[in-house]
Amino acid sequence: MYLLAFSNFIRSRSVLIAITLFLVTGVISLYIGSRFLQKQQAAVEAVTQLQQAQIERNVKNVPDQFGLLMYYLRFAYINKPDPLAALAIGQQDINNSIQYLTVRGLEGQRYDTGLFNPYNQLTGNLDLSFVILFLFPLLIIAFNFNVLSQEAEEGTWPLVRIQAGSAMRFIVQKLSIRLIVVLGLLLILLALAVVIVPVPLNSKLLMFSVTSVLYIVFWFAVSFLIIALRYSSAISALLLLSCWVLLCLLGPAMVNSYLTARYPVQEAYSTFLKQRDGYHTKWDADKDKTMEPFFKHYPQFSRYVWNSPKFNYMWYYAMQQAGDDEAAGDSKAMQNKLRQRQQLAEKFACWIAPMQAQLALTDIAGTGLQQQQQFLDSTAAFHESTKLHFYPRIFTDGAVSAENWAQHVPRYFKATAAMVPLFAMMPLLVFTLILGATGVVIFRRKGAAYTFQG
Amino acid sequence: MNEIKIIAGHFLKITFRSRMLVTIYAVWLLLVVFAAFTGYSTYTTQNTLRTQLQQQARQSWEANPDKHPHRMAHFGSFAFRLKHPLSMFDYGMESYTGNAVFLEAHKQNTVNFSEAGFSTGLLRFGEISLSVLVQLLLPLVLFFLGFHTVARQKENGTLKIVLSQGTGLGAVIWGNSLGLFVLSVLFLLPVAVAAFVQMMLQQQLPADGFVITRGLWLLLVCMGYLWVVSTVAICVSASSTGSRAALLKLLGIWLLMAIVLPKTLQAVGSAVYPAPGKFEFETAVEEDMLKIGDSHNPKDAHFARLKDSVLKAHHADSIQQLPFNYGGFQMREGERLSAEVYNQHLKGLYNTYTRQNAISNYAAFINPFIGVKNISMALSGTDFTAYRHFQNHAEAYRYQLAQTMNELQMEHISNTAPAKDAKPLSIGKEHWTAFPDFRYTHQSVQAITQQQLPAVAAIVIWFLFSFAFIYFTAASAKVL
Repeated sequence: MYLLAFSNFIRSRSVLIAITLFLVTGVISLYIGSRFLQKQQAAVEAVTQLQQAQIERNVKNVPDQFGLLMYYLRFAYINKPDPLAALAIGQQDINNSIQYLTVRGLEGQRYDTGLFNPYNQLTGNLDLSFVILFLFPLLIIAFNFNVLSQEAEEGTWPLVRIQAGSAMRFIVQKLSIRLIVVLGLLLILLALAVVIVPVPLNSKLLMFSVTSVLYIVFWFAVSFLIIALRYSSAISALLLLSCWVLLCLLGPAMVNSYLTARYPVQEAYSTFLKQRDGYHTKWDADKDKTMEPFFKHYPQFSRYVWNSPKFNYMWYYAMQQAGDDEAAGDSKAMQNKLRQRQQLAEKFACWIAPMQAQLALTDIAGTGLQQQQQFLDSTAAFHESTKLHFYPRIFTDGAVSAENWAQHVPRYFKATAAMVPLFAMMPLLVFTLILGATGVVIFRRKGAAYTFQG
Repeated sequence: MNEIKIIAGHFLKITFRSRMLVTIYAVWLLLVVFAAFTGYSTYTTQNTLRTQLQQQARQSWEANPDKHPHRMAHFGSFAFRLKHPLSMFDYGMESYTGNAVFLEAHKQNTVNFSEAGFSTGLLRFGEISLSVLVQLLLPLVLFFLGFHTVARQKENGTLKIVLSQGTGLGAVIWGNSLGLFVLSVLFLLPVAVAAFVQMMLQQQLPADGFVITRGLWLLLVCMGYLWVVSTVAICVSASSTGSRAALLKLLGIWLLMAIVLPKTLQAVGSAVYPAPGKFEFETAVEEDMLKIGDSHNPKDAHFARLKDSVLKAHHADSIQQLPFNYGGFQMREGERLSAEVYNQHLKGLYNTYTRQNAISNYAAFINPFIGVKNISMALSGTDFTAYRHFQNHAEAYRYQLAQTMNELQMEHISNTAPAKDAKPLSIGKEHWTAFPDFRYTHQSVQAITQQQLPAVAAIVIWFLFSFAFIYFTAASAKVL
């Protein structure tokens, strides 16, 4: 009986068309994802070559002044995307995943953006996470909105009721068939991702899959509740679609508007101004005024001679440092703002399932704001260690040839462990259970009779 | 004609009676207020902040003491992008484009600090602006309100009665389309009022913004678009077998036009015309720059030849005998060449982007949503060309700054280095105030119209097509 119903469902023309459409869209999304990875890989290779070529050329051109040489040299720090990023590109097409820095002031460099076509960013990426978060709910709605009302509208409901025994059993059977089909579709797409992208079979992919499954089940619970209310097909469709518009479009967009207005990041601009003024005004100031704070920041360098008759780069780099030091307060305030945004977004996300799923998927794939923040923090550490490596050589005007330049290859950022997704997905699970339970209660109360409402 | 009026009136009467409309309209008003408020607050905070920062940057520029002009070329300046007042209506790409750029000699910096860079990722769900409400959400509402009109009459047999009384199906479709369009204007009204209030609350609108002209064009385009949407809703309703089929068809159309196609077309655009990433771009620029030579490198071959020819032309043996500062001259030459190379590459890159976007532009002929969105962004000063306009402006200012400083150096700085403990070479600080501040201007309406010609043509064609659509639907739809 179940198998018969299953094959009956699968064989209907509209279902076949829908499944095919989704398969095609899914495969396109996988290609878009893997193209994104290829572009990132190409960027990594380009910067690796660029760094090597620039070091070689400048070392040749400026063989006698370490300080001047270090004005030119740049060092790459790379946030290499996890293959899973192909499935949830998230913010990674906006954020810079490669930092290419000199040992001069950090604040003037680290917010430099890449080159992007803003129209592409505006429309966003059609990646698998978009298919799952935005389009799958529509498929679920299309499958479910009339499972019951159709029988009533076509007059087959009394017949079905007698045959199925219990109305509840009938509806559970119908929904489970659709759930299996949708989950099957998801599974196929994930399997294709393993082949096409390719995404390795690991715990991250498992977390990604579990989150997606939970999200799909959530939408089935929503559908079940609306079905249980027993409106006509048209009204059910409208209600379900309103849910979709509210949860997938309006809700998150409103939260985003609120966050933007609540935490405006004006510190970004003031950081920008302060680091310039902090550095440049030192050219006209008394040199001691620059060196004093520098030695306070780096007492280990106070034994070096900076006021030798020859032009000394120590003063120059101390001026650069002054730019960073004077902008440090604003820079920190800016990062705090971003952290506050992130935290508040997570709070709101508990109430809006697609938002929660989105944040979870991008966190798993390492393409969210959280990881970008980590990367920026870690960039500061990278810049600091590069600086500290070269400062003594600059300050003593060491021999350029004595440095082992071959060791200065791009470094890679390693993210600290991602969050525990099951815990983070709790609200979604709770919502699903509440919706499902409410659906059951309403369904039971209405009994088997089908009366139209509205 | 009279029939059409009666049918339109009937449609409106029935719709006004339903409780659903009241709910939808109430929600709509809330959304309009929300969008208008956030648009207004973003615009005012950001523009106030950016104007203030531009002044602050200027103050610290002017506060510089007497110094060598090349130091000032490195001190540089900033350009902050000011929003067009209509960006309160349509945010366009502004959340994704950078807002501030540091302008200095020798180097073209990126425009930094886009709102998207500070976003938690929620931005990807879209934004709620007045334009999104009108262009994206209102069609969905109209489809909701219009899908059953003719289809339900078909289902319950009333259509047969109406037609048997001598009214043509064409009149039925015309009447309902008109009714739905009037309804859409009622939805548009609060949006127009909100936008008007947004503008009126500004103490001052930029004179070159042509807010009223642009605003009226926007209104016209939106109304034309809503007419097209209304006729599509009614025609689909009339040609479907039942209201359920009509609803599904309309939802499919909406999903395809508003969500799936815009994304897919941009993906196609960037796949067909691949653009280099930042480091590929930098490598290519550097390769060409190296061919010119390095104006800072005294041993550079190109600049050595340049020096010889300059000395020869002035019948001098050494640069000390030249009537101008040679360092300034050499840097002016270097700046000119490097800016040329860089701008050529940047132009190439932006032309690639424009080609990527052209696919969307021409897609307006198959998708009026994209057309209206492009026109709306352009009129609101929030599209790609508006951004490019800013960047060109900023780069022109940067170049002027660098060259002015180089020329000051040529004119006022001696070719002989000062003795060791002597005062370093410098010029008076009055030169800093004499150099004008960065001023941003908006594009002319004419330039925008030219850029958006395909989209405008597409919307006009859609408008005309809607009448043909009514005619053919009336002729071919089965009534029974």
